[in-house]
Amino acid sequence: MRIRHPGLLGAFLAALAVAGPALAHHGWNWAEPDNSTLTGVVKSVRLGNPHGRVTLDVGGEQWVAEVGQPWRNARAGLRDEMLVEGVRVTISGHRSARPGEKLIKAERVIIGDTTYDLYPDRD
Amino acid sequence: MFGELLAAIDASALSVHLRHSIWLYPVVSAAHILGIALLVGAIVPMDARLIGLWPSLPVALFARTILPFAAGGCILAIGTGTLLFIVQPADYAALPVFWTKIGLVLAGVTNALVLRRSAAWRRAIAQTTGTTQALRLSGSLSLGIWLTTLFLGRLLGFL
Repeated sequence: MRIRHPGLLGAFLAALAVAGPALAHHGWNWAEPDNSTLTGVVKSVRLGNPHGRVTLDVGGEQWVAEVGQPWRNARAGLRDEMLVEGVRVTISGHRSARPGEKLIKAERVIIGDTTYDLYPDRD
Repeated sequence: MFGELLAAIDASALSVHLRHSIWLYPVVSAAHILGIALLVGAIVPMDARLIGLWPSLPVALFARTILPFAAGGCILAIGTGTLLFIVQPADYAALPVFWTKIGLVLAGVTNALVLRRSAAWRRAIAQTTGTTQALRLSGSLSLGIWLTTLFLGRLLGFL
């Protein structure tokens, strides 16, 4: 079959090739399969839909931790006012598998002695 | 300038409300999918007829029955899509895939409006059978545009 609109196909492939930075992450396929842990100090936060993002200073490196959307954080008992600048948090979850991307999707958020379990069904 | 506009949208009461809502955001998201389902579900058979499938069935029949669902779905998808954009405007605006998608939506709407205002369309509505080169071209453009738009839209959730 002849391709009727080669220009359209070209534009689509070009769009794929230059696809930009992380926006929203569905599932876990984009992340490393192994669990990892990260401790840092909160620099800035952007909570809410489609999911919250917490920027951390981890020994001078800037990391972004993806936390839940409002219902997931609420279910875990994690409230917005706990994640404010200067708070020391430990994130347990999965790091991005993309080389050089300092991004971790949280399964658990640990503040002080309290663990807020965002994904109780995941190890 | 554009960055300030995005920041203003981001700081708006509507954006903040959508962002922190438990139910509204998923409802808007689901309504967006409903709009896409109606649009694509109706436009595929409409375009298939324009391209030449079912030549014995009048184009007017399709225009009367399924075309309003395509148009309604399109309006719903654009309305809810605007609300989804408002939640994180700077993030979407930074993505070439997003702007490609918006360009395709504009192209798809323009293509449909151009066809509706054309002599080819009036003739197609008046006559009962067959298709023409102009209808075939418009139908295949429409099919390519909307299916690519759907794919890019889904892709946005994975970037």
